[in-house]
Parts: sequence; structure tokens; C-alpha cells
Amino acid sequence: MLFAPQEDSNQDESKKSQLLSFLLAGLAFSLFTYFVFAAADYHWDWSSIYEYRQKFVNGWLASLLVSLAALFVSLLVGAATVIIQKSRFLPLRYSATIYVELVRGTPLLVQILFLFYVVADSLGLDNRYVVGVAALSLFSGAYISEIFRGAIESVGKSQLQSAKAIGLTHYQTYRYVIFPQALRRSLPALAGQMANIIKDSSLLSIIAIREFTLNAREVSALTFSSFESYLPLALGYLILTLPIMRMARVIEKRIRFET
Amino acid sequence: MSVSSVLKAAIAIATLVGLVACGGNDSRTGPLVVGMELAYPPFEMSDKNDQPIGISVEIARALGEHLGRPIKIENIPFDGLIASLRTGKIDLIISSMTATEQRAKTIDFSDPYLETGLCLLVSKDSDIQEIGQLNQPGRKVAVKNGTTGHNYAANEITAADVLLFDKESEAVLEVSQGKVDAFIYDQMSTYKNWTKRANTTRAILKPFKKENWAVGIKKGNEELRLQVNEFLRTFKAQGGFEKLGDKYLAEQKEAFAKLGYPFYF
Amino acid sequence: MNIELQGISKTYGSARALEGLDLSIEDSKCLALIGPSGGGKSTTLRLLAGIEKPTTGEILIDGSSLSNADEHLREYRKSIGIVFQAYNLFPHYSALENITLPLTKVHGYSEEDSIERARELLRRFHLLEHANKKPAELSGGQNQRVAIARALGHKPKLLMLDEPTSALDPEMTAEVLEVIEELVEGQKDVIIVTHQMGFAKRVADQVAIIADGKVAETGPPNQIFENPESNFTRRFLSRVLKY
Repeated sequence: MLFAPQEDSNQDESKKSQLLSFLLAGLAFSLFTYFVFAAADYHWDWSSIYEYRQKFVNGWLASLLVSLAALFVSLLVGAATVIIQKSRFLPLRYSATIYVELVRGTPLLVQILFLFYVVADSLGLDNRYVVGVAALSLFSGAYISEIFRGAIESVGKSQLQSAKAIGLTHYQTYRYVIFPQALRRSLPALAGQMANIIKDSSLLSIIAIREFTLNAREVSALTFSSFESYLPLALGYLILTLPIMRMARVIEKRIRFET
Repeated sequence: MSVSSVLKAAIAIATLVGLVACGGNDSRTGPLVVGMELAYPPFEMSDKNDQPIGISVEIARALGEHLGRPIKIENIPFDGLIASLRTGKIDLIISSMTATEQRAKTIDFSDPYLETGLCLLVSKDSDIQEIGQLNQPGRKVAVKNGTTGHNYAANEITAADVLLFDKESEAVLEVSQGKVDAFIYDQMSTYKNWTKRANTTRAILKPFKKENWAVGIKKGNEELRLQVNEFLRTFKAQGGFEKLGDKYLAEQKEAFAKLGYPFYF
Repeated sequence: MNIELQGISKTYGSARALEGLDLSIEDSKCLALIGPSGGGKSTTLRLLAGIEKPTTGEILIDGSSLSNADEHLREYRKSIGIVFQAYNLFPHYSALENITLPLTKVHGYSEEDSIERARELLRRFHLLEHANKKPAELSGGQNQRVAIARALGHKPKLLMLDEPTSALDPEMTAEVLEVIEELVEGQKDVIIVTHQMGFAKRVADQVAIIADGKVAETGPPNQIFENPESNFTRRFLSRVLKY
């Protein structure tokens, strides 16, 4: 009962054996973790961490908000970039390409520092949260534009021919045929990107944005307890990313059925 | 999951546990592992070939000679030093670390070997003259994560915004760009940072809180603690600190003398 | 309908699909284009439908020439109905929405009018119960009937079908061909590319054999099938009608 059904068999994995297998795997992981820490001769001290729980909550919320804002803006950035990349005015098209390649080819850390201490400083923009969201959005926007581009190009030639045959204009073809399909197809990758944004937001600590990782590191520094701070940190990120990953899988399955 | 894969996993776990268990470094004759963050010149830094150099490195080597044991320097971020000591990854911390009460709860300290104090780096046109003016709503105070300045701010700076940085360099940059009002740090570094950015910053070197640097030792390792204390006494008596000060800190010594601040080294 | 193709050639990159094709059809209700695969039938249909432009040559439909201007071609496409081999329905819309989309966005129908028209067509093709299903939930034959309904939505005089049954099994093929036969009887003009010789024989009033980018022979079906003039037609028909 602990085996997945073979591909050609029609027997379904029962809920019970699924749960059992899952618990077994979970137990193995827990045991492993327990033994590793036990062997490291580490003295746990959760009391001082508990004192700082508000810092964890605040940091977690800050990471969530910053990531949501960045996701929203990066969707706009990604869409704008892909439209510009399809533009027939070449200088515009190449600027979009240069932006995408620069962003994808350099570390986010460097981009954050450059944006905050060089660009924002010369523009007189002092709000580090605004700059942080901007940096994260520009970074993620480049990846999202590639996701969009791939999805648009995956809409088959026959669909375009069909749109032409029924007399849709160029704009209508994008509006009613290409975009709705491309958006659906890019949803799984977008969900993955959201998980990336959440994890990448930890780099904003470099410009003293009080997000989850920085606050956990602060607690760790103030209480001299690393693992007690980093375990809640890992858990906090999992709480955010696991449902997103799960959602991505569900969407992926549904789309496969639809097309 | 099949029986054989359960078995495989168990073997893997056992192997790993064994590896971790052997990781400790308790032997009295093996190398003495000293942890420090090589990002705090002239005390802890690395040369062009990435070799550790600086005052703390020389102190560590002198200690090794004194004990007749080879020395191994581990470069570890400042906020990870105490955890490394607690888990036995390193034997000693010599990293310009202040012996605070709070730290003393989790690790032991040797006798102090240097006295310094917290002071302020402010931007050139700031009206700040002393720490009292900082703790007000709307003010922004930069600190480096895990330093005594951070600790001080966490406890004393309640009204102003405390901004936490991983790296000293960013905190200094923030001051020089006027993004924060002040950076709380030790005298020696504040002086150094000010000389580097003299046209955008101003140093208020008068310490508002005195502190002592000491060697960090794993809690309960009384034997090593006594050995280190004995070494520090001899090293001082032989004028070792004096020599290191002349070698690395001649300029600071002079400047502090001119300003009338005490310079203990 | 009257169709006139003069000296049509069409190249894709270095590949030549049509080479100096001439075709003249007068007063036909149903024209069937048949011939070997890769011979140029589908290309001819796409040119007639205004989806592609010929490299050289002129096309006249009922006496008026198809221009090369995009906007003019779009206006022309709006006046006819086109059905493809692989249905080419929009997978993100339901059967009903596939039919209403061109009506509201291209032909200026109101929302209610377009739905009423779509439901009327679906009822006619026995698909009303499937109105809200997506293409992925329908069989090939059902999808092709939805595609025909979509092409008929704006009541075009002329319907063009490009191998509408090639992707279907025999039962579904019959189901779709019946619909097309009804349309011809119902006073629609039809141009169809097909491999179904029986259908061409029974429903078409004109047949054109297209091979190697040229027209091999044209004529009414009884002449083409019973008494072909060219050797090529005779060999081709004997091969396809053997089994």
C-alpha cells in the first residue's frame, strides 16, 4: 500500500495509504533533523526567542506586503516589457532587450545597492521601501516578461489563422485570443515567480528594510541563538511558499485538461 | 516507500550523524581555531592574497606561540561568531568583540585587552552634537547587526527609527548621503570612517558608553580561559600591544591624543 | 458564384506551392478541390479566403478582384465563412462564446442578438446542450460542427472549408458532411477541399483537380469521375477509389 500505482494500472492510491506514506516521509525528515541537532550538542533556548516574537510577526508581514506589492508592479513591468519587445520601433525594442538581459545577468544584490545608493540618491528618492519594491519589481519584471513572451509564442499559429479568418483586427486578436490563453499558460510559472519574489525579498535587508530575514537575524544577534531564530524563519517562508507551489500544480493540471 | 529505501535512508542518516559527531575540535594538541570577521581593518582584515592580517590576527598568532599550538583563522560573519563558538566550530573569538553582560550569558570572556567606547558618525551638516539629541521621533539611527551599537540602540533608542545594516560600509554610506542621522559605532572605526569621507561626514568621537574588548571562549572552558588570561598579561608586559598600536594605529593614536580622548592600547 | 484565378503562384521562402495556376469556375453552387496531398489545394483555398496573398497573379470573386491591401482583405474575410481542418476553435471560450465572439466584435451584433443567433445555430446542429462546454470537452465531430456554426454566424453567402473531415473518424465524418450537404441545399455557396470522393461526387457541381501547383482538370463531377480527360486524373482517381 506504500507504492504509487503503476502507470498502466487503474487502481487508485487510497487517501489512507497516501497519508501514511506522507507521514513516514515526514517522520524520516524529522528524525534526520533531530539527530543532526542532537549530535551538534546544541542547547536549545526558546525563551529569549519568544520575547522577540513581535519582531518575527512584523518581519513576516513586511516580507509578505513587500512581495505582494512587488508582484503587482512586476506584472505591469513584465507586460509592458513584452509589449515593447514586440514593438516595431527598433530602438524601443532593443532597450527592452537590454533591460531584460542586464537584469537577468546580474545579481539582485548589486541591483538593489545600485538602485538605492546611486539611482534613488540622485533622484532624491529617500523612501527605502519604495526603492526596495521598485528593485524587486524590476528584477522580477524581467523574468515575468520572459514568462509572458514564452506563453504568447506558445499560442499556436492555427489560433492566429482562425482569428484572422473570422475577421478580428490585430489588436482584437491579442485582446481576445492571445492574451487570455497566454495568461492561463503563464499562471504556473507566475506562481513560481511569486515564490521567488518572497525568497528574494530577503535581500532587501541590505538597505535596512525590516523584512523577515533581517528581523530574524537581528533576534539571532541580540539573543546569540542562531537556530532558534532561523527555524521560525524557514517555517515562516514555507508557510508563504508552500501554498503557492501547491496552487501552481493545481493550475498546471487544470490547464492541461483545458487545452 | 519500500523497505529497502527506508533502510537506505536510515544508513544515510546514521552516516551524517556520525560525521557531525566527529566534527568537534576538542583535542589539546590540534590547531586552535580562532574565529573573526575579516572586515574590520586594521584589526581583522585580509591582504591582497586573501590571507588574514591585522592586529587580532597577530594577537592570535602570538597566543598560538605562547601555547605552543598551531593557529587556524576562520572568517565568520560577526553575528555568527557566538553561534560558531557554541557549536564548537571554533575555539576562540578574537574579533574586536566587546565583553557585554548579555553575551556573557552564553559565552565566557577573557580579561579585557582594550578599552574603547561607542560614539557617533553624523553627516556633515547635521545639527547633532550628542547622543541625547538622537532619541527623538523622526530621527534615523544606523547600527550594524550584532554590534554593541546595535545592542545599545535596541535598549536605549526607543523613540527614533533604528536601521539595521549587515555591513559597516552601507551604514557609513547612508550617513554620508544624509539618509540617516547617525551611525553608532566604536571610536576607532568611526575615526577611520570619518577620515575616508571627511567632506560629507563628521565624527563625534567622545564616547557616550565605554566598553572593553575581550577574547570569547566557550562557556565552561576554564582551562583555556586561564591560559588566554595569562597570555594577555605577558603580552602586555612585553609591550606587545604597544608595538601593534604603533604598527597599525599610529595615525589614530596621534589624532586621539590631539583631540584629548584617551587611547588605550 | 464565379471564380477566376489567373496565373497564380505562391512561394513560402524557397518552397513553391503554386506555379502559374489558372482556374475559371462559373455559376457553381459547390466547388470541390481535390488532388494529392501537397499538391496545392489548401493553399488555393487560403488564397481564395483572403487569409494569404498570392506571390503573383490575380483572383476574381464574382467579378471583383481581391486587393492586396490588408484592410480590404479583412473586409472581404468578414463577408465569407471559413472552416479549418483542425476546427481552430478558441480553447478558452465555450462553444457559445466561440460563435458570439466574431458576431459582437466584428459584425456589430448586440450581446443578446449574438447569443440568440448562436443558440439558433447550435440548435440547428443539435449542439444546444453543449453550448457552455469548452472545446476540450467536446468530440471532434461536435467541435467541427461548432466551427461551422461559427463560420455561419454572420450569414455569409459563401462558405470555405479546408479538409473539414480529415481529423475525424468515419462516423463523425458523416455527421459533419451531412451538415455541409444541408448547407448546399440551403442555398449557401460552398468551396470545399476534401479527400472524400463520394462527397465530391454527390454534392459538388464543379470539381477541380489540383496537383503540382497547377489545375490538372476541371469539370462537373460526373465528367471528372466517369470520363476524365487527362491521364493524370485517371491515374489519381483509380488510386484513391481503389479501396
